[in-house]
Amino acid sequence: MRIRISHATTYTYDAPATVVTQILRLTPRNHDGQYVCDWRLDLSQDCRLHQHEDAFGNITHAFTADGPLAQLTVAVEGEVETQDTNGVVAGTVERFPPQFYLRDTALTQSDAAIVEFAESARGSTADTLAVLHNLLAALNREIAFDTDPTHAATTAAEAFALRRGVCQDLTHIFITAARALGYPARYIGGHFHRADGVTAQEAGHAWAEVHVENLGWVGFDPANGICTTDAHVRVAMGLDYLGAAPVRGARFGGAGEALKVAVRVEQARRQSQS
Amino acid sequence: MLSRTADNLYWLSRYVERAEYLARILDATQRLTALPLAYVGETNEWESAVATAGCAGAFFKHYDKADEENVTHFLAFSGDNASSIRSCFELARSNARAVRTALTVEMWDAINGTWLELKRYGNGPTSREEFSQFLRWVQESSLRYDGSAYRTMLRNDAYWFSRLGVYIERADNTARILDVKYHLLLPKDEQVGGPLDYFQWAAILRSVSALTAYHWVYRDRLQPWLIADLLILRDEMPRSLASCYQEIVRNLDEIAAAYGRQGPAQRQARGIRTRLQNSRMDGIFQRGLHEFIGEFIGENNRLGSLITEQFLL
Repeated sequence: MRIRISHATTYTYDAPATVVTQILRLTPRNHDGQYVCDWRLDLSQDCRLHQHEDAFGNITHAFTADGPLAQLTVAVEGEVETQDTNGVVAGTVERFPPQFYLRDTALTQSDAAIVEFAESARGSTADTLAVLHNLLAALNREIAFDTDPTHAATTAAEAFALRRGVCQDLTHIFITAARALGYPARYIGGHFHRADGVTAQEAGHAWAEVHVENLGWVGFDPANGICTTDAHVRVAMGLDYLGAAPVRGARFGGAGEALKVAVRVEQARRQSQS
Repeated sequence: MLSRTADNLYWLSRYVERAEYLARILDATQRLTALPLAYVGETNEWESAVATAGCAGAFFKHYDKADEENVTHFLAFSGDNASSIRSCFELARSNARAVRTALTVEMWDAINGTWLELKRYGNGPTSREEFSQFLRWVQESSLRYDGSAYRTMLRNDAYWFSRLGVYIERADNTARILDVKYHLLLPKDEQVGGPLDYFQWAAILRSVSALTAYHWVYRDRLQPWLIADLLILRDEMPRSLASCYQEIVRNLDEIAAAYGRQGPAQRQARGIRTRLQNSRMDGIFQRGLHEFIGEFIGENNRLGSLITEQFLL
C-alpha cells in the first residue's frame, strides 16, 4: 500500500517564546515491510536542523529556534510504500540485543493488577505467539478506547486501573504485561491508515513490538486488536512513549502554550500490485 | 511501450556502461603494471583484470597465459569475447538501430559515431601510448552517450528504462571490483599496509574515478575500510552500490507510477536499498566483506532477471 502522510504540530504561545529547542522523531526508516519513497520536514522558523541517530537507531532532528516566537509549526510530509508481512518486522536497524527491551521505565512500571492480568492471559498456554494473541484480545476487550481520562504522562498502571485510555495507554499496558511474562517488548510510534476512509486524525498511532523466539520482532496493535499490517507506518521505537515521542523539547518564555496536531493518513493514488 | 523497445533501450545503456567500465579496469591495470615490481608485488595484475571483468572462464579457453598483450586484446578488441569493448559497442549500436525512433538525434549520433570510429582502431593500437588514447576515447564516448541521453531524452518510460540499464550495470561493476580486490580492503589487523597496498588501493579508487572524491569525503590518507565504505555505503559517491540503488529505486518507482502497477522488481530493488541503508561498515566486516559482496552480486542479478520478466519479455 502506498500511504501518503502529513503530520503538522503547531504551537501557539500567549507570551512569545524567546528560545525553543526541540528534538524530533518524525522521520521513518526503511525495513523489509516499508520503504520511504519521499519525505520532507518543514519548520516555520529559519534555523539549523541537525540530523542524528539516537541510541535505538531512530532518525532524529534537533533544532534551536530563536524568538520571539508567537507560533511554531513542525510539519512532515511524505509517501511510504508498505507491504503486509503478517506482523513480523524484519530488516530494521537494531542497536541493542532484544533482552535490553525487558527493562521497565516509569511509564511502564508493572503492578499486581497488570501481572495478574498477564498471568490470566497466559493461563496454561505454552506457545509464545498464542499467549501474546490472548493478551492482545483481552486488552482490546477490557480496556475502552477513550481520549478523555488519560494524558501523555499517564502510566500503564493508572490507565489499567481506569480501564480506559488511548492507543498510547493500551500500548503501555501491553508492553508492561509482556515484560511481566518475560518477553522483550517495545513501544512503536507511527501512523495507521484507517480502512473506514477517515483520513484526518488527531494524533499519530502507537503500538507494541514483542520479540518472539525464532521469529524476531512481531508488531501488536492493541488499540485495533490486530497484528501490524501494511496499514501501519513505523516511525520511531523506544522503551516507552518518551523514548519514541515525536517531539520533545524545552523553551524559554512562551507562557500559555497551546498545541494543535493535524495528521492526515491516506492512500496515494498509485496502487495496484502484480 | 513495446517490451522489445524497453529491452533494447535497457541493453543499449548496459553495453555502453560496460564498455566504459572495461576501459577503466584496463587503464588502472596499465598504471599498476607500469610501477616497479617492488611496489606492486608479484601478483599478476592482468589476471586480476580478467577476473574483475568477469570473463576469466572465457579468457582461459582462448589463451594459456594472462599477460598484457593477451588481456588487452581479449578485453578490448576480441570478437570471441561477447563483452569486449568492441563487442559492447557493436551490440549497443545494433540495439540502438532497432529502436532508432525511440532515441534522440544526439543519442543516435553519439552511438553511431562511436561505432564508426571504432573501425579506425582496427585490430588494436600498436603502441602503449596509442592504447591509452584508445581507452580515453572509450570513456569519452560513454560520457557523450550518457550526456546526450541525460540532456535530450524526454522523461518518460524510455528514459527510465535506459537509466535502469546504466545503474544495474554500474552496481554490478563496482561490486565485481570489490569482489576481486576485497582481500586488500580487510581491516588493518589482518593485512599489513605498505607501499604495495597503497598503490593497489589507489588503483581501486581510480577504476571508479574516486581518488579525488575519497580525499574530499574523508580528508585522510587511504584507509582500506574507508575505501570499502565509499564504494558500498556512500550515497554521494555516484558509483557506490548505495547510490546506484537509490537511482534504481527512483527509476523503477517512476515506471510503476506511469504504468499504475508495480511488482516483484520494485519490491526487490527497495529491499536491497533498505539493506544497504541499514548496514554499517563494521557490521559488514563482521559478517564478512566477501560474503556481503557475493550476496549483493547475486541479489543484483536477481533484480536484473526480475526486471526482464516483468517488463522486457
